[in-house]
Amino acid sequence: MSFIKDFWYGKPHTAEEGGRRLGDNYLPKTGLYKHREWRGVKDTFYYFHNIWLYNYLHMVTDVIKYGGIVNFVKGVWRYRWVGQTYLPVLHWFDRGLEGLRGEALRASAWHYRAMVNATIYQFMTMFNADTRLHGGKKNDAWYHTMAMKETTWGGMFYGWSDKFKAVSLEMIPYFVTCHVNSHTVHNYIDAVQSIGLPGDPCPMCQAESGLFVLDDIPDYSPFMITCNEACDGSVATAILQDWFNDKPMYALQMPMQFDDPLANKFVQKDIEKCWKFIEEQTGVPMNLDLMYECIERQNELMKFEWEKWEVAAKTDSYPINGVAQALYRIYQSQFGDLPIWHEVDSKVRPIMEKCVSKKINTFPNTRHRVIAWSCAPLYYSNWCTWAYNCWGLNVIINMDSLMFDMTIRTDSYENMLEDVAQYHMWAPMRRMAVGGMHHIFELWDYMKRFNCDFVMMYDQLQCKGMQGVHGLFEDEFRDRNVPAIWMPHALPDSRTVSRAEIRRIINDYMSTVMHEEPLDPSLLELDDDMTW
Amino acid sequence: MKKIAKLLGIGVGAYAALFAVFFFDLDGKFLFHVFEPFVKNHYDNMPRRDMTQVPYDMNKFPDYKYDEV
Repeated sequence: MSFIKDFWYGKPHTAEEGGRRLGDNYLPKTGLYKHREWRGVKDTFYYFHNIWLYNYLHMVTDVIKYGGIVNFVKGVWRYRWVGQTYLPVLHWFDRGLEGLRGEALRASAWHYRAMVNATIYQFMTMFNADTRLHGGKKNDAWYHTMAMKETTWGGMFYGWSDKFKAVSLEMIPYFVTCHVNSHTVHNYIDAVQSIGLPGDPCPMCQAESGLFVLDDIPDYSPFMITCNEACDGSVATAILQDWFNDKPMYALQMPMQFDDPLANKFVQKDIEKCWKFIEEQTGVPMNLDLMYECIERQNELMKFEWEKWEVAAKTDSYPINGVAQALYRIYQSQFGDLPIWHEVDSKVRPIMEKCVSKKINTFPNTRHRVIAWSCAPLYYSNWCTWAYNCWGLNVIINMDSLMFDMTIRTDSYENMLEDVAQYHMWAPMRRMAVGGMHHIFELWDYMKRFNCDFVMMYDQLQCKGMQGVHGLFEDEFRDRNVPAIWMPHALPDSRTVSRAEIRRIINDYMSTVMHEEPLDPSLLELDDDMTW
Repeated sequence: MKKIAKLLGIGVGAYAALFAVFFFDLDGKFLFHVFEPFVKNHYDNMPRRDMTQVPYDMNKFPDYKYDEV
């Protein structure tokens, strides 16, 4: 009878109830599955039809819609970061969605679908315009695509979005690759070190520069816009990009101490200069009405995000797991408006409303409500899925989701510009990570607001800014009697601190400090050293 | 009737095969053991420009200061 029940409903989560033993599904070293998880009839076939088949099919239709199979194949053959990285994308879904059931599975998977669409849109836009894939020819798309550094908010270019596409230089070749297939980025880190860069600067800046050192960036735009965000490491990246890209370049500036009202005024001026540069390069004036229209659409996304946060903070019915929440939000708020975000939000809304109205406990084995703070390990962003399955650590919210906590006014040019400057200055790794003591310690307010009792404190070993405040956090954790785990990592580089080491640190804390037993002991130790 | 039965049979067979690929992670195994080593070898042996030989023309473009804004 138990076999039939397990077949129909899937095995129960905890070891006391028999347990899923998710760790037994893995093949040694590779992280591949002997077989994918049996989640019961309903959820297994939901995964098969609505996630696995649906996303494979939509990957093909997205490629066709945004530029065609021929451009895609040429791009795959030319660029390592797309060919080696993005084809195993369904395994990225698997890692992030492991163990999920019911509404949590459905809502979280929609977030992944949006990110896949946005990624395909961007690399196909690059390939359509890329002179390297078109015999050196500068086609119409090349003249109608803008390139910017990935830490520049995409909304900066809304005023030209009816005629030009804006795609960042590194978001797809670097940032998203690390989450999907962490092997690829090692080539770029090693490449920049091979021309003499020491190994200890921020590995994000290293990888971004390495793309240019290996000549692995498409030539898809007549000019580029760089930015000094997150820190002076990015200034050095911009210098190498200026050298290797050899194009007209505007360097946007972003003050570290953004609370100073004079800093906002300064940035407003700088943004206007950037817009003037774009007008000069494209010969097309900014369309202010279009700018307002796109900002309004982005504001809609923010308003729904606030609704989601409200549910996450005040109920046990939030149907989005930690990794889907974090990646979707940072991707959406950094890239700016796209139709897919609205489409996905319209799918997630009824799921969330159903959970709230029926009081569904979406993560029923939650032992601790966790807030994750500082910058996460890109190669192990799905650690929170593992931590919930193994220990009941449920990541409710994270710092990266909370950075752009604002809408932008469109009632006047002056207000719009002031808010755009504010948004620009609240960039990733800036607002709370290196934006000043007051903002780093916003952790305590958000911890209270989201009703969290546990902190996962990311410790980016090569971030000099955050290393400087390590001791201050230690003191605060002790004074406030807050359980907190320091998770060391090197952002994209999985060779510095392995996933197994991260798990060992969490295991040790949970057993020796918290005196808790794992929910699923098969997940305590895994050998997934070679996994994507 | 026979045609419909045949089509149905093909459909059921294709569905079962796809489910087997999904359930036994055959897509992952193919991509990990066959596709990735193949493309990796290709990318590792691609001729690439030596970017350090590109001259850094610091004065090629204007300064774009726009002090009048």
